[in-house]
Amino acid sequence: MKSQFAGTETTMSSQPLSLTRRKFIQRSSLATAAFAVPNVLPSRLFGQGAPSNRITMGLIGAGNIGTAHLDTLLGYTDVVRVLAVCDVDRERRETAVERINREYGSSDCRAYADFRELNRRSDIDAVLIGTPDHWHALIAIDAIRNGKDVYIEKPLTLTIAEGRALVNAARKYNRVVQHGTWQRSMKRFHDLVEFVRSGGLGKLQYVECLIGPNNRHVGATWQPEPVPEGLDWDMWLGPSPWRPYTFNGCHYNFRFIADNASGQMTNLGAHCLDIGQWVLDMDNSGPVEIEGNGDFATSGLFTTPSRIDVTFRYASGVPMYCRTNLTVSGNNTSRFFGERGWLDIGYSKMSASDPALLREMQAPDKRVKVPSSKNHYDNFFTAMRTRERPIADVETAHRTTTVCNLGQIAMALGRKLRWDPAAEEFVGDEMANRMRSRPMRAPWSLVSDLAESRPTT
Amino acid sequence: MASPKSKSPQSIQQLDPERSVRGASYLNKTAETPDPWALCATLEYGGDRSFAFAVEKLIVQTPQSEWGKIEERLLATLALPGCTEAGRAFLCKMLGWVGSARSVPALAGLMREATTANVARTALELIPGPEASAALREALASLRGNDRAGVIGSIAARRDAEAGPALAALKGNAAEPAIVRGTAARALERLASS
Repeated sequence: MKSQFAGTETTMSSQPLSLTRRKFIQRSSLATAAFAVPNVLPSRLFGQGAPSNRITMGLIGAGNIGTAHLDTLLGYTDVVRVLAVCDVDRERRETAVERINREYGSSDCRAYADFRELNRRSDIDAVLIGTPDHWHALIAIDAIRNGKDVYIEKPLTLTIAEGRALVNAARKYNRVVQHGTWQRSMKRFHDLVEFVRSGGLGKLQYVECLIGPNNRHVGATWQPEPVPEGLDWDMWLGPSPWRPYTFNGCHYNFRFIADNASGQMTNLGAHCLDIGQWVLDMDNSGPVEIEGNGDFATSGLFTTPSRIDVTFRYASGVPMYCRTNLTVSGNNTSRFFGERGWLDIGYSKMSASDPALLREMQAPDKRVKVPSSKNHYDNFFTAMRTRERPIADVETAHRTTTVCNLGQIAMALGRKLRWDPAAEEFVGDEMANRMRSRPMRAPWSLVSDLAESRPTT
Repeated sequence: MASPKSKSPQSIQQLDPERSVRGASYLNKTAETPDPWALCATLEYGGDRSFAFAVEKLIVQTPQSEWGKIEERLLATLALPGCTEAGRAFLCKMLGWVGSARSVPALAGLMREATTANVARTALELIPGPEASAALREALASLRGNDRAGVIGSIAARRDAEAGPALAALKGNAAEPAIVRGTAARALERLASS
């Protein structure tokens, strides 16, 4: 059955390739259906060598995670040039721009308060989006429509409907979208997937994902506060419902407010449930039954559950559990239990019921092979060059984020839900189906036209 | 070592004496159990929301066959004089989950005012049926600028083909702001692809 959100996308006409770096990135993807494009392109075209051939990027969201990405991007001196930074918080964007210009020894990098202006710069190849979750879909779709490739932080989107719209946009405009689920670029997870899918654990019995504790306690009530100078609060809220500013309801902590995010279910769940989806070979599908319960604060600023316990059941009969790990603060891990024993694989540790299983897992030449990536950024930049799908492609990302969203909805409703992953709709639960999307605050919507922004090339 | 008594849970007043005066003031007003539904009309940003939490839990546990009763209570609360902005936002969100054609007249009324159109749309966009679609089309005529663009977004989300002529007119009207014309154009694309 066709997805309700799938929509029919128009086919873009093939256009002649140009040999300039920028033109190539823009146009080569348009021709992939009609022409054979080499897997590896000459490095002289772009990305390496002369400064004019570097990939040019804009950073949208210069807070906690955006700054972490910037640390890495500045290390790609021969590959990437960061030309622009956008943040609705003046101090954050100016701090980032000053740092970039200092590192580059230039004054080329510019600051923007409005992502629409950055997205309309024709000299920028790609954007990295590290904003609060409620902005992900709209900023990414706008970037895609303006010819940018996108590296987007997890979770991909706030809602299931947004995720499908983003996939549609990426496919329509043939843009590369890499999701920030970087565990897909760690060898241990790649080995795990090939090992389990090859039958290394025997018949897989269940998957268990443990994620770090949720929320912080900031009181049963909170006080609206004056908006700090330099912060555009209305733009920070964007499509999410209006509320007055308060310190604990803005940077970082937004993830514990259901209007802006879905707590650790999507924040950390996006990592470990992503590995579960990969192992279960569900990158284009998902579970068929979900049941969950969570502890929700009865009052206070934070509205996402502080403890989660969700069971996802797949058509194969294999269940995947996702629970709050109350014993190891902040850690998250994915455990796989089969006939031959278990494997517990996290980004910082690995263990098994028998050390021999770990050795087998890491051995080469497994029967089942899956694409591999040794570095999430390299994989993105390579995909930009080859126009092939990256390791954490947007459809895969949407499916993983959907699993997270299904868990959030199941906890909110507190009952067993049946899900049709092909149609992307709940079976026999009208309220759950209404929760797949959220109306946006004007003027924003999934069909928002943002063309009124001023081009600033 | 601290005594066990010192670890006992604090009251809302002890935790936050100033804020307790706002949303939780009912605690001191009456010895009777307060009606959480009516209190939803007094909801304040930052105030105690435990009564809204209780109502939401009740709503999500109510079988669809009983939604009509829930809807009536939500509409009655929404109509209370002095319903706060935060209260209206919460009630409309709940109507988006359980509402039907019965809610449309009240929501259509809220759509006529720019100050309340956004929260009314959080319900109308999700309520199935031609009545809600008609209310959104009607709002296209009464709202302006950003609010009108928001309504177009809701119409597109519902794939309301009947709105096609009105959207086409907005798309081609040079007097409209760019965001309205452009959003109407994208909405038409979406309707065409449905």
